[in-house]
Amino acid sequence: MTPTLHIALRFLFHRKRAFILSLCGVVFGVAIFVCTQAQTQGFAQRFIDSTLGSNGAIMLKAQFRPRADNLFVEPKNSKVEAAHRRYFEGITNASEIMRISRRFSNVVSCAPVLRGTLTARAEFENATVDLFGIDPALHLRTTDIGSQIIDGKFEDFRNNPNSVIIGSRLAEALGIAAGDPVQLLSPGGEYWRFNVAAVARSGVGAVDSTRVYCQAKIAQRLLRKPYPATMIIYKLRDPETAPELAQHFEQLFQHEARSWQEREEANLQLLLTLRLSTAITVSLIILLAGFGIFNVLTMTVLSKIKEIAILRSIGYSRRDISAIFLWQGALIGALGSIIGCILGGLMVVGVSHIPLRVRGLLYADYFPVASDWHHYLWATLLALIAVAIASWVPAHRAGQLPPVATLRGSSV
Amino acid sequence: MTNEVCLSCEGIERYLGEEEERVHALRGISLTLEAGTIHAVVGPSGCGKSTLLYILGLLDHPDRGEVTIEAEAVSHLPDDVLSRKRNELLGFIFQFHFLMEDFTAQENVMIPMRRLGRLAEEAMRERAAHLLDEVGLGAKLARPSRHLSGGEQQRVAIARALANDPRVILADEPTGNLDSANSQRAFALLQRIVRDERKALLLVTHNPEIAERCDWIHEMQDGVLVGSHPRGTRPND
Repeated sequence: MTPTLHIALRFLFHRKRAFILSLCGVVFGVAIFVCTQAQTQGFAQRFIDSTLGSNGAIMLKAQFRPRADNLFVEPKNSKVEAAHRRYFEGITNASEIMRISRRFSNVVSCAPVLRGTLTARAEFENATVDLFGIDPALHLRTTDIGSQIIDGKFEDFRNNPNSVIIGSRLAEALGIAAGDPVQLLSPGGEYWRFNVAAVARSGVGAVDSTRVYCQAKIAQRLLRKPYPATMIIYKLRDPETAPELAQHFEQLFQHEARSWQEREEANLQLLLTLRLSTAITVSLIILLAGFGIFNVLTMTVLSKIKEIAILRSIGYSRRDISAIFLWQGALIGALGSIIGCILGGLMVVGVSHIPLRVRGLLYADYFPVASDWHHYLWATLLALIAVAIASWVPAHRAGQLPPVATLRGSSV
Repeated sequence: MTNEVCLSCEGIERYLGEEEERVHALRGISLTLEAGTIHAVVGPSGCGKSTLLYILGLLDHPDRGEVTIEAEAVSHLPDDVLSRKRNELLGFIFQFHFLMEDFTAQENVMIPMRRLGRLAEEAMRERAAHLLDEVGLGAKLARPSRHLSGGEQQRVAIARALANDPRVILADEPTGNLDSANSQRAFALLQRIVRDERKALLLVTHNPEIAERCDWIHEMQDGVLVGSHPRGTRPND
């Protein structure tokens, strides 16, 4: 143990009350930072997981071809590449595209979807629905639909071509459950009758309140589409790299490809803004803890002027004296961060058990939390930076105190 | 006896205060301390005795002149080096003993040793215990210094000043806060250490009895060394 650390420990434990108060500031600052970050990220993560589980990491959609340049006058300062394209709805060669896509190591699986908008009717209720014509086996592999079923069975849907899976909030709106009949109005004005095989809850409000799944071949006939798919959805090993792969797919297949980050940009920005806002607010607690430490160390310096003079006369340099007070700050910061991280972790566990009814953008019955070591790292870094800044001024002042003035005071 | 010089100063000038309140505290002080000798600096209050002591102890810088320790000029050295020399070569004793109140007698003596870093923890404890035993406090090692009497605290301060076996001991009225018996005892102790271990001792004192027992008496007045007399040769003796 260095001599400065030894003395710092003695000084610190001599002022127990001030030490505990300073420590509490750091502990609560760190713990609340960890807890709030886990909550806000929990909401974001729940949303991302639900989105990926329902719509995949990448959606490959309409085919495009470049416009003829001599017929197209580019707007001034235009950066919109899409303006150079002509889009053609539908994917005619979905099997071929999927076969090539599966060769990419990042692609876990992919599934075609024929999408269309229809009106659903059950009893006397009507609703506009987003019909997804799917290949049950491929869709099961690519999305979380299997685990999203809350009523009925996926197997019933797979085995019965005249059955549908219906979103949970849509089912509530139409007043139907698994086993009930539902009618879908085709573009030709005919009502097609289906049986509800299952009700699914993805957790994303927009999906659960509009989506109906039926088998792809039925959907093609119902929607009267000449092509078997309007999009292909992808499940990736690393969803974070979706934008790069989407861009690559666009060039490779000449189809519009959108990553989940691009699709959900607005919601993700909102969640990120909330998270940053919370982080800034909670950082103020850590900042206040820093002020507390500043006060405590300043008072310690003032109460230890005599001791500082003694140490200087004994041979402790200015740097040693500063180090004694920096050590005190460091000890408060380190100990406070460790205890704060432990307390924060416990608070995260506790918060995750608090009942919370969320029915909107997300579906949740309890506080969604996402523990991430980055939260602990950031909380610790913030605490250490605040403590370092708070300690530096009194420590520097202590080092600069002229010992002679103190020693002279008692020796004239 | 050889004339081995432990510490000397040459032409020390020191101004204290700012602008109109500026005082010429030391005016060309020169002094030499040899091993095994005891020097007393006497003079009226405010004549610059303590200022000289702090400059010789490397706690203050002269405005002019040079301090030399062990044949090395030190006044221009940076704080870290000066502190190291203070720790290694000098021992301070103050009138009000200035101990760390929350530390025990033994821990107080160990503080300079910790800074020097030459001894292991156990060796430091043993040396501190030995030094405290030397000053008659062997039975009070573990007692917090604030629970010791004034005389005992001063003896702890003496033990602390000797902790790193310094070449020079600088004492600012070491007996000024003690009764007569304790004063005599503390001085006798210092005298013995200086003689036996060939150290140099410079003490600032108002006590004529103590001053008369020193090898040299330096008289100061208004920042000037007006006379230096070997023992027994002072004009008013």
